Order: sequence, then C-alpha cells, then structure tokens
Amino acid sequence: MVEIHPNHLGLGEGRPIEVPSAALSRRERGRGSAPLWLALSLAPLAAPALADDAFEAEVRPVLVEHCQGCHGPEKQKGGLRVDARSALVEGGDSGPAVEPGDPEKSLLIEAVRQAGDLKMPPKGKLTPDQVAALDRWVAAGAPWPDDKAPAVAGRKEAWSKHWAFQPVADPPVPSTSDASWNRTPVDAFIRARLDAAGLPPSPEADRRTLIRRLAYDLTGLPPTIDEVRAFVADESPDAYEKLVDRLLASKAYGEHWGRRWLDVARYSDTKGYVYAREERFLVPAPAYRDWVVRAFNDDMPYDRFLVAQIAADRASPDEPAQLAAMGFLTVGRRFLGVSHDVIDDRIDVVGRGTMGLTVACARCHDHKFDPIPTADYYALYGVFMNVTERLTRVGDGPLEGQAREEFEAELAKRMEAMRRGMAESRDEAAQRARGKVVDYLLAQLDPSQVLQEGFDIVVGPDDMIPAYARRWAAYLEKRAKADDPVFRPWRRLAAIPEADFPARAAAALAEPSPPGTPAINPKVASAFATPPATIGEAAERYARLFAEVDEQWDEARKADPAATSLPDPDAEALRLVLYADDSPCVVPDEPIVSTELYFPTSTIDAMWKLQNEVEALLLQPNAPPFAVAVVDRAELREPRVFRRGSPANPGDEVPRRFLKVVAGPDAKPFQDGGGRLEMARAIVAPTNPLTPRVWVNRIWAGHFGSGLVRTPSDFGLRAEPPSHPELLDWLASRLVQGGWSTKAIHRLIVLSATYRQRSGPPGDAAVRAKADEVDPENRLLGRMNPHRLTFEEFRDSMLAASGDLDPRMGGRAAPLIDGAPNRRRTLYGLIDRQFLAGVYRTFDFANPDLHTPSRSETTVPQQALFALNHPFVADRARALAESLPKDDPAAAVARLYERIHRREPTPAQREAAVAFVAAAASEAEPPPPPETLAWSYGHGPVDPTKGPDPAAFAPLPHFDGKGWGGGPRWPDPKLGWARITADGGHPGDDLARSIYRRWTSPIRGEVAVTSTLVHEAEPGDGVRAWLVHNRMGVLKTAAVHNGCEDFSATVVVEPGDTIDFVVDVRDNLSHDDHLWAPTIRAVAAEPSTPSAWDARRDFNGPAPRPLDAWGQLAQVLLMSNEFMFVD
Amino acid sequence: MLDDPRGPAAISRRDLLRRSALGMGALGLASILGEDGALAADAAPGGFLSSKAPHFPGKAKRVVHFFLNGGPSQVDTFDPKPALARYEGKPIPINLATERKTGAAFPSPFKFRRYGESGLEISELFARTAEHADDIAVIRSMVAQVPNHEPSLMLMNCGDSVLPRPSVGAWVLYGLGTENQNLPGFVAMCPGGFPIKDAENWGSGFLPGVYQGTFVDPKNREVDKLIENVRSPHASRAAQRRQLDLLRAMDEEHRRERSDPRLEARIQSFETAFRMQMEAADAFDVDREPQLIRDLYGDTVHGRQTLIARRLLERGVRYVQLWHGAGQPWDDHANIAANHRAHAADIDGPIAALIADLKQRGMFEDTLVVWGGEFGRTPTVELDGGGKANLGRDHNHYGFSVWMAGGGIKGGTVHGATDEFGFKAVEDPTSVHDLHATILHLLGFDHERLTYRYAGRDFRLTDVEGRVVRSILA
Repeated sequence: MVEIHPNHLGLGEGRPIEVPSAALSRRERGRGSAPLWLALSLAPLAAPALADDAFEAEVRPVLVEHCQGCHGPEKQKGGLRVDARSALVEGGDSGPAVEPGDPEKSLLIEAVRQAGDLKMPPKGKLTPDQVAALDRWVAAGAPWPDDKAPAVAGRKEAWSKHWAFQPVADPPVPSTSDASWNRTPVDAFIRARLDAAGLPPSPEADRRTLIRRLAYDLTGLPPTIDEVRAFVADESPDAYEKLVDRLLASKAYGEHWGRRWLDVARYSDTKGYVYAREERFLVPAPAYRDWVVRAFNDDMPYDRFLVAQIAADRASPDEPAQLAAMGFLTVGRRFLGVSHDVIDDRIDVVGRGTMGLTVACARCHDHKFDPIPTADYYALYGVFMNVTERLTRVGDGPLEGQAREEFEAELAKRMEAMRRGMAESRDEAAQRARGKVVDYLLAQLDPSQVLQEGFDIVVGPDDMIPAYARRWAAYLEKRAKADDPVFRPWRRLAAIPEADFPARAAAALAEPSPPGTPAINPKVASAFATPPATIGEAAERYARLFAEVDEQWDEARKADPAATSLPDPDAEALRLVLYADDSPCVVPDEPIVSTELYFPTSTIDAMWKLQNEVEALLLQPNAPPFAVAVVDRAELREPRVFRRGSPANPGDEVPRRFLKVVAGPDAKPFQDGGGRLEMARAIVAPTNPLTPRVWVNRIWAGHFGSGLVRTPSDFGLRAEPPSHPELLDWLASRLVQGGWSTKAIHRLIVLSATYRQRSGPPGDAAVRAKADEVDPENRLLGRMNPHRLTFEEFRDSMLAASGDLDPRMGGRAAPLIDGAPNRRRTLYGLIDRQFLAGVYRTFDFANPDLHTPSRSETTVPQQALFALNHPFVADRARALAESLPKDDPAAAVARLYERIHRREPTPAQREAAVAFVAAAASEAEPPPPPETLAWSYGHGPVDPTKGPDPAAFAPLPHFDGKGWGGGPRWPDPKLGWARITADGGHPGDDLARSIYRRWTSPIRGEVAVTSTLVHEAEPGDGVRAWLVHNRMGVLKTAAVHNGCEDFSATVVVEPGDTIDFVVDVRDNLSHDDHLWAPTIRAVAAEPSTPSAWDARRDFNGPAPRPLDAWGQLAQVLLMSNEFMFVD
Repeated sequence: MLDDPRGPAAISRRDLLRRSALGMGALGLASILGEDGALAADAAPGGFLSSKAPHFPGKAKRVVHFFLNGGPSQVDTFDPKPALARYEGKPIPINLATERKTGAAFPSPFKFRRYGESGLEISELFARTAEHADDIAVIRSMVAQVPNHEPSLMLMNCGDSVLPRPSVGAWVLYGLGTENQNLPGFVAMCPGGFPIKDAENWGSGFLPGVYQGTFVDPKNREVDKLIENVRSPHASRAAQRRQLDLLRAMDEEHRRERSDPRLEARIQSFETAFRMQMEAADAFDVDREPQLIRDLYGDTVHGRQTLIARRLLERGVRYVQLWHGAGQPWDDHANIAANHRAHAADIDGPIAALIADLKQRGMFEDTLVVWGGEFGRTPTVELDGGGKANLGRDHNHYGFSVWMAGGGIKGGTVHGATDEFGFKAVEDPTSVHDLHATILHLLGFDHERLTYRYAGRDFRLTDVEGRVVRSILA
C-alpha cells in the first residue's frame, strides 16, 4: 500500500485560513523569506480593528496605482509585493515594509517620504496627502479588510488542491463497455475514457507491426527477419508474452532505456567550456553511462536507482562499483568552476529529473507558480555546497599481465605526484595566508569589496585572495555564534562605525563579557589593554599576536618535531586559529576542482597539470573505469539564502532540509552529514507522491510518444493535468507496490490491448470524423501513436540493416561520424557538449547542456541532406548492395526489402525497384576521362646523389579542392608544406618529404614529355627537380632558382611504367613555390587513345566512389518513411 | 503563436493535423509549392523555420552583426578621450578592478576626426566606415558584468554570463523564422575556426536545435566545406533525381493508409534538400558577383565573408554574425598601436562596402548592422608581471562602445557617455540586456513577450531586465 501523507501543505480539513502575519513572532518575520503559506499552519489571531472605508478610499488606490506595477502579482521588484497585508509585513529583500503601528520603523513610509536613500515611487513623488494617508494607516496597525484578501489565498488553495501534490491514490480499476477487450488493467482506464467520449478502440495491429513496434520500443533496434518470421508463425497463445519477455531480457533493452535516462541526466563525455589548463574530458562519464545501462538491464528497483545516483557513497559504502552512479551529479557542465552554477545545475537535474519540480526557478525569488520558496532552494543548495569530489576506481580494465602492471605503476606515480604537489601547494598557501591576517581581517569590514566567484582575476602570490577573505568571513561568523573569546574584542570593534571609532573603542572593549561565557583569551586581552586608534590598528595587534604564536610554534617544533600543540593553553588557542583543520588559513584537503580559488594563478595551472597527468592516463581506451564520487566535506557549512540569486547579497541562514511541498511544513533539518542521503531517501519516500508519478509517466511517454502528463519534468501548477489521472496513480501505486520494478511497469503497458492497437486512422469514416473532432491529438489513445526513429534508432537501424552493427557494450566513447569508422551503437558515440557534431543537432538529439524532458522533433532539409549525401549512409547502401544476388534482380530486391524493411516487397514494389535498377544502370555515371586516371600525386624521399626513389612513392592523403597535401591544415603536422596543385606545387620541408607528380602509362610505345619548371622567387636557394622513369632511372635533374628550366624528353614506355616529376627543397626550406605542369603526347602508341595528357587539364581529386544502381536502390529504401517511422 | 505555452511546435503540429484532415495530402505537392518551386512558408516542414510575423511591424527584417571578438578598445575607435593625453604617463583618478594590473593613462595612438553632417567622432582606424557616420548610432555607455572573455561573450551573445542559453540569433530565428527554407536561417562565420566558447556563442540552448547558428569557416572556398552534406560524393544530380522520384513514389504509397502529418513533412524535406544543394552552392559562391562588387569588398577573407553575408541576407537569411577570426584577435594586451591598426584594416573596408552595397540595393533601411565586441579595454596601460608597460590595454566591462546602423536606427547619434577617461559608463549606462531589448524592438518584438516555456518558466533573451534604448531609434 502507498502510505498516505495526511497533508503536505499542513492544511486541515476545509477552507484555508488567512492569518495575518503580525501573528508571526519577530524572529520569524526577520526571516524575510519565510513563505507566506507557512503561516497557514499557525493558529489564527485577530487582526487589528478595521477601518475599511479609509483603507479603500485612501490607501488601496495609492498602492494599486503607484506601487503594484512593480510590486504586485506580476512583478515583485526587490522581492516585495504590496497587494496583501501579510506581504507588506513580511517584506522583501530589504526586510519588512510595514511595521504595523509604527510608521517610523516602516520602510514603506520611509520610502514614500523620500527623505532617505530609499525613494519610492522611483519616478515622481506621492502627494503629501497620500503620504499622510499611508502614515495614518500604518499607525492604525495597517488594517486590511478580510474579505478583500488578495489572490494569495487563492494561490494557497490552488496549491493545496493541485493534483500532483495529492497523495498517490490506488484507484479501483473502472468497469468498461467491453471487458473482453481488456488485456491488462491499463486497458480499463483507457477504455473508460474512450467510452465516455463515444469512441471505440482500434483493432489490434498485425504481427509484423507488433514485433517491429515492440523491438524498437524496448531495445531501440529492429527485429531481424528471422525473428519476424518466427513471431508471425508462432501460434502459441503466449507468443506475444514470450516476445516481450525476450526483449526485456536482452542487453539492448538497457542500452535503449539507459539512453533515455541519460537525456534526463544531461549526459556528456566532456565538461563543456574549460580554461585551457584543465582536461576537458570527463573521466567518470563512461562508467556512469555503463552503470545506468546495467541498472536497467538488472531491473534495479527505481528507488535504489535514484538513491545510488545521489548518495551511493552513503547508501552502499561497501559497494565501490555503485559509486559510478554518482555521475548523475557530476557529468553536468562545469561553468568554469563557478560553484553556484554547478550547484544550480545539480538542484535542477534532481528537482526536475526525479520529481518534476522546477526547483531551480526559486533561485532568485520564490517560485512564481509553485509552492517552492527560495528558502527551499537554498535548503537543497546547502546539501550540495557541502560536497567535494573523489576519484575512485570502480572496476577492472581490459589490461592483463605486464601491460597492466606498467599501467598501474604509472598511475600510482602520477597519483602520488598529484597528491604531493597538492599537499605542498596547500602548505605554501596556508603559510602565506598566516602572514596576511591584517588584510583578511580588514577585508571583513566591507564584504562587498571581496570579489565573488566567477570574477577571475590574475592573482599573484602576494595578492589578497578573495576565497580566503570569504573563508575568514565564514570562520569569524562561526566563532561569533560560539561567542569565541579570541575574537570577541575584534567583533566589538568591527561593529563601530569608522567615524565613531576613537570615541567608542574604549567603551566597547570595556563592556563586560556576558555571564557564563568564557573570559577573553588573556593574550588577546593584554593586547587590547589600551584601545586602538583605528580598526586597522586592531587588526595589526591581532596579526602581531598570531605572528608571535607562530614563532613560538616554529621553535617548539624545532625542539620537538613531533610536537602537536603548545604547552600554554592561551597560546595554543591562538595557534589553532592558524593551524587547526578548520583554520581560516588552511586550504581544505580536497581536489583542485573545489579548491582552486585558494591559490594564485600560477599554482592553479600547476595543480591542474598534475591532475591532467592522472586523467590523461585514465582517459586512455584501456584504462580501468574510474568514477568521481561525490562525498561530504570535512567541515560542513550552513547555507544562506542569496537574495535575488546573488551570492554577493547573502540573506538569512536556512537549515539543510527537504522541500516543504513534499515534506510538509515541519520538514526537519537534515542530521546526517551534509544530508545527501536523507535528501535521496526523501525523494523516494513512500509519502512523496511525485517521484513514482514522474517515473511511470516517463515510461508511458517512452511507449506512446507523449506522457499521460505532457510535461514530463514539470508537474507544477502550470503543467497540463494528466489525461488519465487515475491511471497515472494506479501505475504509480503498482510501481511502489511492485518493489519499484521498472520492467513490471513496461509489462503492464506493452501487454495491454491499448498498446497493441493499430496506429492508422480509424477505418470507419464516421468514427474517423468523430475522433478528429473530439480527440484530434489522440490523447484518449483510441489508436497507437506512430513513432519516428530518433537519431540513435535511425543510425543503429542503418547499421543493423547493412549487417555491420558492432554489438560490443560499454567502455570509452569514440567519435561517431567523423573519425575512424565507428559501427557501435550510437549510445557509445562521443558526446562532446562543447563541440557537439552537427549531425546530433540536426537530428534533435538531447541537448547535453541541460536536463532534457523530451526531445523536440523537427523535420528539416538538413536531415535529408545527411541521408542523401553523407558517406555513412552511402557506405551502408554499398554494403547492402554488395551482399545481393545480382544475377537475379527479383531475388535481390526481395533480399533488400528483407534486410531494410523486414518484409517481402509487393509485386508492384518489386517491379518498380527492378525498373529503377535497370534505368540507373543504363544511365550509369559517365566514367571519369581516362586521361585523369593516369595521374597520381604523392611524396617520397630524394637522395641528393642517387635521386628520387620511385618505389618509395606514397600518395598524398588529403585533397582540399584545389590541391593535394598532407591534411586539412597547410603546413600539415606530418608532411609539412608538401603540396601539388594543377599548376605546380611546393615540396615538403626536407628531402625526405619531396613531392612526386606521377604519370602511369596506359600504353605501350613512345611518348614525348614537354615541360618547363618555373621558380620565380629571389630569396632562398630555389628548388631541385627530377624527371625519373621507373625502369630507366633519372632522365634529367636540375636546380632552379629565380628562373626556369626545360624538362622535356622522349621516352619508351610499357603499360604500368611511371614517369615521376619530383621536386625537393634543395638545401633549405624557403620560397619553394614553383610552377610545373607537364604535358605528355604519344608519339607511337598502342592502344592509340588516349594520346595526350595535360597535368593541368587532367588534374583531379580523389576518384569518386559512385554508388552503383543497387547501392542507389538500397539508399532509397534507407531514406524511406517506412524505414524512418514505426507504426 | 509565440504565446502558446508549449512553443510553436504544438501549434504547427495542430495546424498540420488540421490541414491533413482537410486532405492536404490529396491535393498533392503542386498546391503547396510556390511559384518558384519553393515551399510556401506556412507549409514548411514542421513549421519551425517558416517566416512568422513579429509582435508589431519591425523596422529591420534581418541582422548582420560584426563581432570584434577579444574586445576592441573604445578609446581607440568610437569614444575619443583627449583627457588621456593630458594625463599621459600619470595615474588617472579612477581605479577599477580589471583582470590584470594596469598603470598610467595611455592616450590613443590614433587620430580622431569628425565625420559627416552629424560630426560623429571616429578614429582613423575606421575612416572608411566613417564615410557612413551619419547612418551610425554609437552607444558609448555599454556595460557588461565582468572583465573576462568567456562570461562576456556569453552575455553579449546569449544574454547570460554563465548558464547555457539561446543566442540572440536563435531567439530571432525562433521569433521570425527565415525567409528562405533552402538556406540556414542563422549563419555564424568565423575565419580560421572557432572563437573562445566555440559554438556556444551561436547555440540554441533550450530552444529546438533548428534555431542554432550554422557555423561557416569562410577560409574555405568550396561550398561543401561551408555547408555540411551539401554535395554528394557518390551520386550525380540526375541519379539523385531518379532516387528521389522512386522515394516519393514509395513514400506516397506508404502514406496512403496513414494519417501522420509528419510523413508529408518528411517527403517535402527531401525536395527542399534537393534544391538546397544548388541554392547553397550559389549563395556562398562570391565568384558569381561582378568584378566591381568583388573589388568593393576586397579580395581578402574578411572582404569575402562580408560579401557572402550580403548574398545570404539578400536571399532571406535572417541573422548573420561575422566574427573577426578564431580565438580572440582584438584582445590586444600589448602593442595596441600596431595590432588594433591591423585588425581594423581587415574589416574597415568590408564594413564600409557592405553599408554602401546595402544602400544601393535598397536593403539598408531594413537591415540592422551591429558592430561591437564582448567588452572594451582600459584607458590605462597594461602592466606585465614586472610592472612594465606593454603598450596594450586590459579588458574593461565598465564602459565600452557598440554601434548600430540601418533598419530603424537614427544615424549620426551618440547615446550615453563614459567618464572623461573612457573607463566607466557614467551617462545613461546601457546594459547588454538593454542592447538586446533594442535589437528585438527594431525587429518588431516586445522583448518581454518573446518567450519560450522551459523548465517551468517563460524564458526570454533579456531575462528579467532590459529597456529599449529609444534615443537611437529613427
């Protein structure tokens, strides 16, 4: 049974009661962000006596006309709205706007008087009468007529009634018109609504359609032709069930549904934009991806699945392999290391991904629509701000024997270098910080001057480091709470305004300590026996004290290196400020990713370098899998609300705790460390109605194209209500009662008659007309929704059709399209969020930057261009064509249909295909002119004494449209400046990389070679050219510098003989551009054509690989809608 | 359409459903093809990119944005500061934190002059552009958020310093669609590779991927290097036509028993793709321009990319961004006298040529030309680690210049001002959100109403800010 939470909003039965916020204690009001609806759970108190007339006549019009534009339901500038008394009393970012009964203490009055800094309204001024009316109203206790209470109450009521926040019900299965149609209870829920709309369901689809639908739905791959035949022929009553079970048990299931989860988890193999100092690949990504695939294949209970991804370090501390799950948190963007944004990303993926709550909306202000106050956002923020990361091995790699030992030794060496480098840098940083106590203390006087994270400055070793200033602030705050006796004088002195300092310092110091608190540290007391003249002097006195203690400590350690403390407890107390683990001078013992801001720029670069060394090793294809575990920090801090989302504007402290919309108004602060495990358990708690609903809805959407709720990651008030609310709850109940088994939910859905319906339009015209009218979007599911293949399904299906899908699972990703041929499933293609290959975008792949609730589905010509022109598609067509029995065209067509469409062609289709092939073959592409085939373009060595070596000719690998060279860049990293164009070229950088333009003889006879080499530049030493026959050797050689030289000869040739036109750099690489475009004429030849060749005219790029007629036919089938859509 | 909570997809899908219910399929292809064989706008596949009307008639219909990545110096280009000469070698009384340390006042090594009837002051670096001074409105009081390239590029291009958000071009394409379905609607050109932050600069964030800018490296001259998959390496045009005819026949047969509008849309997309191969080849081939025009722009990579931009705009492309080059060329921390001169020499001529060319074609009044970088530079000289002056300038987000010309802009105007040294905007400070609000306004959008529902929020380019800079509107 699903336990029913009494009431998530803390409302009793019946109408919600508006409570004037004056009822809140002063302390509660001081928390500017206390959500209005919390007040509901408090007992009602009487509001001040009303003066309705005056309010309506004088006050409300002013508020509406002059204030509400910026402080109303639409906008809440400064976090303030003025359309409710409670809102005014609660106030905004600057605190309460109205202090009932006390105009002098009310910001509203101060603002409209415009005597101080705060001047409202911003343009113009209220009349003195209006100001006076407001003044009188506040003085009277700011009465606000009850029945005129604003929309706030409506909101609360809406929240309390919102379907998604209600406990999950376990509704009875409805009765329907035709119970025999139902195959699982799912059908009764669907049929009941169809009945109500007067629509019949569609008949069951045929077997071929069903197996194709099921195979794609459960595995993302098409069935084989044999599987289709077997299923079509299987007459056993449980044929369909057997098929479902087989597919659910296949490994491909986890790959397909795992990828769906990776959309939720904004999976990427790279971090996004990083500074050049940092490795951009994410070490833990593949281990996370593989963990997800395994979890689906193992049908890991969904509650455990979620808990592991958020808190595996605590939930299953004895299973290191589970740590890979935490990639859910760590594969997000890195935002150049700005922690606030990293945390925001994590809150978002957890909030929307697991519960359909747009928690991240509350980063800057209370959620505009949903009951998620800013305090709740920062309650979760507090969970994530207290984490750091730990690189952890989660399995064995493929290496064995000595290779493995060598790898492990190298890894250990690099890890140790990183550890040592980190430790040394931490020590250095701490020592420098101990010498800068004055700077960091004085920085506390005006925190606004301390730079925020994300404002990167180049920090030198002697500069003040903003992260330290912030650490000092946190430390002093913590000390203040404990009324720590070391810094008590500092606190008192720092509180004095600068101008009053000389007058008030002595009194502040003399004030006795509160009874029961420890006395001021005697050393500090004596340092402040006389009052300092300025706050700067106070800081210096502290610095001097600390310096003295530091010296003592140095000496103590010289005397006894094992010393752990100073004997004098007063000195020891001061020493601890400098040296304790939580000292403001110490860098936490964490990896560079969460500590880099404590170091000067040069150290940061060096630390990243050490970490990159480790990561480079772990990113090798054979490396064992490593995860990055998220673990709690050694010292925990309390979060504060950042007003308007700005860390520069910290507000009240909030405890780490769960969202009140789920946990209720009395949500207890998390107790266990940073609270991650408690948070994870709260997400899957039986009292949380959102998590199971969100998950069954995602599963449903995976089968029907859209969910019962069409906004799968937003179950808030602005979401469209579910099409079948009872079904949603019934499925959610089954999920929880069935031990959170995902596969059990799949079975309930795919075994249903609903799922097995045909997808076409109703055959009956009247039914069709009615369906078009009452249910044009098929929300009632009177038929199945056809499915267009996703990018992964499309690419994987092409590989499956051509028979070269590589089924290997897991491991590091490799580029999909542009790189070495990659025939693995698309899931294993490299997802580089910073340089996402265009094809992913073209085919609506999930944006790896952000949690993706559902993919957009576009139809754009770029998709068609890919299918028409990309070599990947042509290669599949070529492979298909090669396998056909071409001597029997009808059989070949049948084979092609089997492999691509998994069916036989109709006779008409076969005829059309055969006719196409005949036409295509007869109008075959004209072959390239035979003259062009004689030329090739390469490089090779030149021995200055013996000349070139025709046997060493190697083709130049890259053609850029104008010439041949080593690669897309010129010079190429390997072949340098080597380049051959129609007119001439440029030799490579040294004699080993000379260029060879080659003519290969197709004839037997005699040819006349005519050519002139021109070198036009004066600088350098020109080039040296060679005319070489493969059997006769060097025919002529000459150096050419700023001039020209004739290279002509008459040569006897056999078919296959080569004549090479070779150029080298001579003695140096400088100004070696030249022109040399020989012509060759047959003097006497057999065969007689071609009879003349012209290097310029015949110049060509790589020989095209045209698709033959069968290849063209195969490509057409691969491009067809029948291939792309699943009925 | 833009007000539909589920975005344009929902509506177009419904439209298609309605149309197919009315039997669009039966009417056949001819009826939805326009006279030139191109798809009628509202029948475009999926409707995502079809031309749409803005909130009100905009003065500009398309945008070309010269992005001087790295950060051009305002005091050396469009914001003259004679006071720097008086303070030469001396500290100035303004001390603001920038990325690195800077020292004394560093007067501009370039001469300024007044141009046109308006007397707009422009430095010699942009003397050719200055011939159009009376068409240009300079905002001298731009303000960004931090003096670092990455966040500032994101802010200028996508309206948020850090979070992945759609770029201005993506928003414009989402709002207006494109007038030519055979070309990408938003093109970002950058010679030699990517700028800092790579394709994020023209990304589509949470908007559908079709709105993302298409990257083109104009250093390539061959069309198949410019546009992905635009040329077949394995089939002639005649062979492709034959393939598409068979494909059409198969798809029509397949569609007959089905009612999914996506089937029709996909059939059309192949026809569009077939035409696109020709049209894209044509649009990017500047050799088809008369010699006179090629000479006007100059036979340089910047001349060529600017001329390609005009050819694209002329063909209905909505938004073209022209980057200066890979990395951050304008980031002159050292030797600014030589370096800024060289960068400006690259683009001054092409900018002037583009404006003149747009004018002679009657396109200037509805094309918005935007010029600027991600921030400006300090009026003080940058110091190296040893405190020595590098004769360059550090990043400066406190005040810098951007100018606009063309559609809806009041030429010869100046908006806002920096202090007497050019460090900080002191008069009418203008945020990047304000700039974006103004660009959208010129295109016919209320920036507060051009929204997209994502993650429970109606997002907009200007986040929760932005005021239209009215003083520069014609």
